[in-house]
Amino acid sequence: MNLDAYRVSIEPYYRSVGDEVAIFEAAYASRLPVMLKGPTGCGKTRFVEYMAWKLGRPLITVAAHEDMTAADLAGRFLLSPEGTVWHDGPLTLAVRHGAICYLDEIVEARQDTTVVIHPLTDARRVLPLEKRNELIQAHADFELVISYNPGYQSAVKDLKESTKQRFVAIDFDYPAPALEAEIVAREAGTGGELAHTLVAVAACSRNLRGQGLDEGASTRMLIHTGRLIAGGVPLEAAIRSAIVLPITDDADVRDALDAAIAACLP
Amino acid sequence: MPVAAAPVGAELGRLMRGREALRASFVQTWQVLSRRHDPAALEPWAAGTLELVNVNAGASCLLAFWRASIELSTRHSPASLGMAARAAADICRHAGARAATEMLDIYPRLDGRLATPDERSAWWRILVGLARAAPECVSLAAASAERLLAAGGPDSFETFVMTGLKVGTDRAKRLRFFSLEDPLAQRLVERAGGGPGFAELEQGLKRFLTALWAGSAHFQPNLQPLPTPAGNEVSRRTNIAGPVIRLPDIFAGVNGDAARSLFRAAAAHAAAHLALGAPRFAIGKVKPVQMACIGLIEDARIETRAMRRFPGLRRLWAPYHVAEPVPEPLASLLLARVARGLFDPGYQDPDALIDKARNLFRDASPRIEDPAISFDIGTRLANDIAQRRIRFDARGYLVEPIYRDDGLCLWDFGDQDAERIEEVDLAIDAARIERRETDEAPEADEPEQSPSSGRARPKAADERGIVLGLYPEWDATAGIERPDWTTVRSVAPAAGDVREFTRALERAGALRARIGRLVRAAKVGRATRLKRQAEGHALDIDAAIDAAVSRHAGETPDERVFISSARHQRDLAVLVLIDTSESTRDRLASGASILDIEKIAVAMLAEAMAGLGDDFALVAFSSAGREDVRLTHLKRFEVGYGQAEASCLAGLQPGFSTRLGTALRHAGTEIAAVRSFRKLILVLTDGEPSDIDVENPDDLAQDARRAVLSLHARGIDTFGVTLDPRSVGSGAKIFGKANAMPVRRIEDLPMRLSELYFRLSRR
Repeated sequence: MNLDAYRVSIEPYYRSVGDEVAIFEAAYASRLPVMLKGPTGCGKTRFVEYMAWKLGRPLITVAAHEDMTAADLAGRFLLSPEGTVWHDGPLTLAVRHGAICYLDEIVEARQDTTVVIHPLTDARRVLPLEKRNELIQAHADFELVISYNPGYQSAVKDLKESTKQRFVAIDFDYPAPALEAEIVAREAGTGGELAHTLVAVAACSRNLRGQGLDEGASTRMLIHTGRLIAGGVPLEAAIRSAIVLPITDDADVRDALDAAIAACLP
Repeated sequence: MPVAAAPVGAELGRLMRGREALRASFVQTWQVLSRRHDPAALEPWAAGTLELVNVNAGASCLLAFWRASIELSTRHSPASLGMAARAAADICRHAGARAATEMLDIYPRLDGRLATPDERSAWWRILVGLARAAPECVSLAAASAERLLAAGGPDSFETFVMTGLKVGTDRAKRLRFFSLEDPLAQRLVERAGGGPGFAELEQGLKRFLTALWAGSAHFQPNLQPLPTPAGNEVSRRTNIAGPVIRLPDIFAGVNGDAARSLFRAAAAHAAAHLALGAPRFAIGKVKPVQMACIGLIEDARIETRAMRRFPGLRRLWAPYHVAEPVPEPLASLLLARVARGLFDPGYQDPDALIDKARNLFRDASPRIEDPAISFDIGTRLANDIAQRRIRFDARGYLVEPIYRDDGLCLWDFGDQDAERIEEVDLAIDAARIERRETDEAPEADEPEQSPSSGRARPKAADERGIVLGLYPEWDATAGIERPDWTTVRSVAPAAGDVREFTRALERAGALRARIGRLVRAAKVGRATRLKRQAEGHALDIDAAIDAAVSRHAGETPDERVFISSARHQRDLAVLVLIDTSESTRDRLASGASILDIEKIAVAMLAEAMAGLGDDFALVAFSSAGREDVRLTHLKRFEVGYGQAEASCLAGLQPGFSTRLGTALRHAGTEIAAVRSFRKLILVLTDGEPSDIDVENPDDLAQDARRAVLSLHARGIDTFGVTLDPRSVGSGAKIFGKANAMPVRRIEDLPMRLSELYFRLSRR
């Protein structure tokens, strides 16, 4: 089977903020599974795309959701005129053909689902398909990456200890202000000064984390804001639409945030 | 004189003819009123007067009414005056003739404040109500009336009176309130009609400051109201005491959005002081005028730095810089202009001092991070002012513009001789309030108790409550159950300080938010998948395959090949038993007692349960021997969870022992009466059962175990959360291993308790 559709052909923009590239490369060299931790919109997915491009591997992404079953990952029998036909799931596809499989927001999936990755993430590197009575030895290039946001998921949704301990973790956070401004300016195509203002706005919202906001504005939001502005939306309106309104429904929090944002604007 | 068309007036006239002392005044009043109204229209007035006569209000009261009638005759109808008289008669009945006379005396004076008939009747209604409830306070309340009416009309006055009546039935306390000795009363009078004030805006301001400055080292948005100094009516400035920003309750005369902006401006300014490093200058030989100048430059310095980081703060502060050139040679006016000159680059001022300040400040701007420039420039400006012999009124000086703080935080008053204290006092008199870093030290309100291990405190016999029931107890040593061995009594809950409690809850905001999310998830997200349904929203692949296989095999396929989902129905009743025995008084490293943490945990749990709409009750228990097992119902099943319940929770005090088995049995009786599919008793305890009349605590643990088993037999699940930092607990022994959760770190309790609840309630 050809995985060319899953290849990342153009270099994605990724600005390294620390030693994460080196750690990932080292982990990949030994085919150690990797866990990316960090708040939403700080560049986890972009990082995986970038690494897939850099390592020249196809990338198969699965967004986990709470109704996801093991069959959704591993594969299932489908009906055909002749009878049933087996259809590989995304994980099986990656295991067979040697791709990077990226399970996004893994904790969203039910815990019984996540255990299918256990045999793949220790020394065995196998995927048992009990429905087909098949044991797949992972392709030499296969690599498993999961992302995990410990902040906002609720207490009941946490990774099992037995799952957590199989991974090499890389911690992501929002980049330092100067770097974040550079990223926003590059991605949104805005001027440097505007990018700095947006980063200051984000800092205010991040300060309110846990004080009425579940999460502060992410780098992704800033880029969206920058693009709105580049598209001709005035600064205040863009911030309101792309930052304030999405992150809070609470009128009191919004008032405080609006006041703080007003203080950031020139 | 009265005629037949007006029988009441005629009767009054007859009565008055026999009263030497009153006749002349009556006739005069009657004449004044008759000029405007015919006798029939005067009937209500006459009836009112007659009422005053009938309640024996006395001559001075009648004279007061007539004086008022003459004075108000042009504006009030006789009916309105009659209503006043009848109300005064009512006041006289309850509070005596003197109070009634006083009310009638001040009535004409308040006329300007009581413009409409509605307001007038409201005024008298409030007074009559007060006279009924607290007769001794009528005159005192009336003394504040003019101010309250001026500020906010009868509504303000009513709020004041109602608040005063809520102080309690204690006469002395009420008197203190209405004579404005109570700080609460002072605040009410001060802020009448104003607003929104600090109380309404506190939360928003806290968030605002957090958003701006939480990243800075050492900055915690710690806001408190500024204590009201007795009898001081000058408008005041924000004060910074240590890490605490103290804002006035209101800024007098500023309402609505203007108040919101001003509070924000003031909070942002004070926070900038704290976040950008507050220097402390030694007071040494610094004179008041120098203090003012140095404070002024320091304000400009930190504002410049703050605006570099947050340019929008300029828009927040600019509206308050309104100083204009004026000829008066007053230092305070000149300083306000200097402040504006430093803030507003476009401001023109003929006085050389402004330009000088600007130049000095500009020259020093490369060193803007250094507080020493404030001292340096300030001192030089002060010298100029002194040389020009401009008068500086240290006592009356108020920092301008209004949003700035009083500047006292800049000064280290360390060791100073008496002479200096006096001079400095002079300077800060207008703004100074005695420094109290923490207004409410948690220890202060608790009487000193012996820090014993908590077991076995003797009880006072007279505070036993109503008997709720008798329960058996298991005697493990003898192997028998003693019938009717223990007595359960109900003790009324004491109200606690909800405000302080709410603050403590707010400090745990992140945790509450997490629990809130759990609530939302449990409420909406719990759809269960139903496989192999006859209809549904998606194909059930497995069923479809089976059906296809059957068809190929020539069998009749099962038509149920769909998946549907159904909402999870909650039908759960929970009774939370809270151990308040003496050992919960122990303090943790954080300074909070175990009971404090228990309260927070229970409050969060209660919010979660209320959010889910689950039926629940909160019951605290303790015991002092088998005759006196005390239960306090903080919340019963049939009522909702609100302020009153939170207040009862906040009011829990530690004391006595833990006779768990009996408490469990009674809890079982209560929850058994609730109609619900699942019944759950959650026990929150900090250790092993014990009591003063039981020598071997193991007996009580065995009894508790037996109680748990008998509850289980009745379909009631019992779950124990034991605070057990030393992991010795008998929790597993009592509740069973699967139903006990020892909590090692007591600080974790709030989260663990709620987590447990969600886990249990899903089963």
